[in-house]
Amino acid sequence: MAMENVTGVRIAQKTIKSKRIQREGWVGLLFLSPWLLGFILLKALPILAALIFSLTNFQMLNPGETEFIGLENYARFFRDIEAGANLFGSLEYFLLTVPLEMIVALLLAGIFTSARLKNKRLSRTLLFMTSIIPATSIFFIFLGSLQYAERILVDRMILPPIDGFGLLLPFMALWSVGPGFLIMLSAMESVPNELYEAARVDGAGPLARFIYITLPMISPAIFFTLVVNLTGAFGGSVLLDRGYILSFSLAPMEGYINEMMFTESDLGYASALAWVTFTAMMIMVVLLFRSASRWVYFPEEDEVANI
Amino acid sequence: MRISRRDSARKHGVSTLTFKLWDFTGTALLNLFMLLFLVVYLSPLSFMVIAALTPSNQFLDANAPILPSRRVTFNYEGKDRIVYQVPTENGVKHWALYKPSRQSSEFIDPENPEAGLIHWEGQWRGLKAVYKFQPTLENFTEFLGITKLPLLFRNTLLVALISEIGVLFSSIAVAYGFSRFRLPGGKYLFFLLIATIMIPSNITLVPTYFLFSGHMLNWIGTWLPLIVPHFFGSAILIFLLRQNFKSIPRDLDEAAMLDGAGPLRILISVILPQSIPVVTTVALLHFFYIWNETRYASLYLGISPNLQTISFGIQRSQSFFFTPEALMVGALVVMVFPVVILFISQRFFMQDMIVTQIEK
Repeated sequence: MAMENVTGVRIAQKTIKSKRIQREGWVGLLFLSPWLLGFILLKALPILAALIFSLTNFQMLNPGETEFIGLENYARFFRDIEAGANLFGSLEYFLLTVPLEMIVALLLAGIFTSARLKNKRLSRTLLFMTSIIPATSIFFIFLGSLQYAERILVDRMILPPIDGFGLLLPFMALWSVGPGFLIMLSAMESVPNELYEAARVDGAGPLARFIYITLPMISPAIFFTLVVNLTGAFGGSVLLDRGYILSFSLAPMEGYINEMMFTESDLGYASALAWVTFTAMMIMVVLLFRSASRWVYFPEEDEVANI
Repeated sequence: MRISRRDSARKHGVSTLTFKLWDFTGTALLNLFMLLFLVVYLSPLSFMVIAALTPSNQFLDANAPILPSRRVTFNYEGKDRIVYQVPTENGVKHWALYKPSRQSSEFIDPENPEAGLIHWEGQWRGLKAVYKFQPTLENFTEFLGITKLPLLFRNTLLVALISEIGVLFSSIAVAYGFSRFRLPGGKYLFFLLIATIMIPSNITLVPTYFLFSGHMLNWIGTWLPLIVPHFFGSAILIFLLRQNFKSIPRDLDEAAMLDGAGPLRILISVILPQSIPVVTTVALLHFFYIWNETRYASLYLGISPNLQTISFGIQRSQSFFFTPEALMVGALVVMVFPVVILFISQRFFMQDMIVTQIEK
């Protein structure tokens, strides 16, 4: 009798708990509803259409002759050396720009948290400013400055001759430091002061505080910047626009997809290339998320949202 | 309680003067480093300013100096004549070219025109002109003459502010949903969100255009394609906000929950006050994104000149005369407003703004 009673209570407790979780899920979905709705109304159909295009020989100039050709576009990718080269080019572009950009952003943000730095408002504005210069102007600024540097420094034998185009990517990376800098800075500003005070009492110097408190506490922001920069290098969404026109991209793979789409007007093949790129990106991002549990710190981890 | 560096220094037996000197050196070095960094970092911008102030034909002239300048001319017998550096037996003279011909030319000395024409043997084409430093604003006046700047400005501000409201409300709500609730299939929903960030944007261009076109929604030529999607939240900003919300400890949520606060109440009075820096960042990033966005503006507003946004409008003007100085002027004009906004918004990044503790 008593035993039955206890089991009954347990079952009741369990159902109450599962009901609470269920209710929590519905409330959560309610908060998610703007995005879910937007996905269903505006995103899902175009994505599905792009998937279908990739199975056809859709030519934008004569859509009437479109035929279903199965996986032929994907087979063509494996024969297309240029496409493969551009895919790896995107990886190279990522490796050449993103680490530099992120490290500089991180160090600058670290310096900005110091109370000793003066004129922060002005310096922050100046640091960010270069990230909103339109792309066409940036190329002219780069080439023009290079020319000036040559006339002033190289012609007078102060510097050895400069390999101009080798510097373009690092230059672009440094001049795009703004968003990453702002994100890391805002993450650093949210770290509770008490942590730093406690570390200071324990005798930790500025470097130790940066490594043992700042870096773990802002690891979610670092992770975000890494994922977003990775997708940006392959042609996904970007945080900041530089006023690129439709057919232009600095990311090699996106540039190649755009060429297929706008110059060759071969939407079928362009769509297939996009899905290949997407798959490659997704694999890398899933690996990144897998690694996240080792180095991205959240205060309360639970098994439900362990990312 | 705050333990200052000075107190801890005293504890270790360092005199106040030594400490002050040390402290001052550190501050000075840090600021000096920042100053040097900024000077190097921004030095290419000097080209931008110089180019914008340079007369339009200077870039075509290989012998022209770096700074904005004009050729010196001398008015003689009612005509402006270009002054050249002419090598003679008595050193280089600055003479105005009067009558050019292939093997020898006639010059006139601007300092002594009464002396009459000077005959010079040599090829005048090999001579370098004399330049005088003279910045000009004509690029700006010319550029603003063909650009309807106030209209572009107003349009962009409206599009940016309206979509800003939508993107902030939705993204904050969705990020809160992702960071604080056990969702059915939450992990997969989150990966779906990440996946939408990774789809190369141009690939959905044609179907999306079809969706907005006269066949379905009939939004082409209006601001709706630029504004409405943002009201459903921006995946990339949701991701950023979610990372921040998740790194806020839950104990304050739970305390508020015990006091009977609902989920919305917790979002407004517990989560948001602790997230002012990141919300400011998100608002700024979205604003700058709209400010510079050209692809969709050109696609959807190409047919309605009165609704165009600034980045697209300025690129259109630049396409009429695609020269370095026009590009630089355009870039400077586009940048002014965001830079001002950025400078003003800095207030919200200050540490004092963040409530990290609730009175206990």
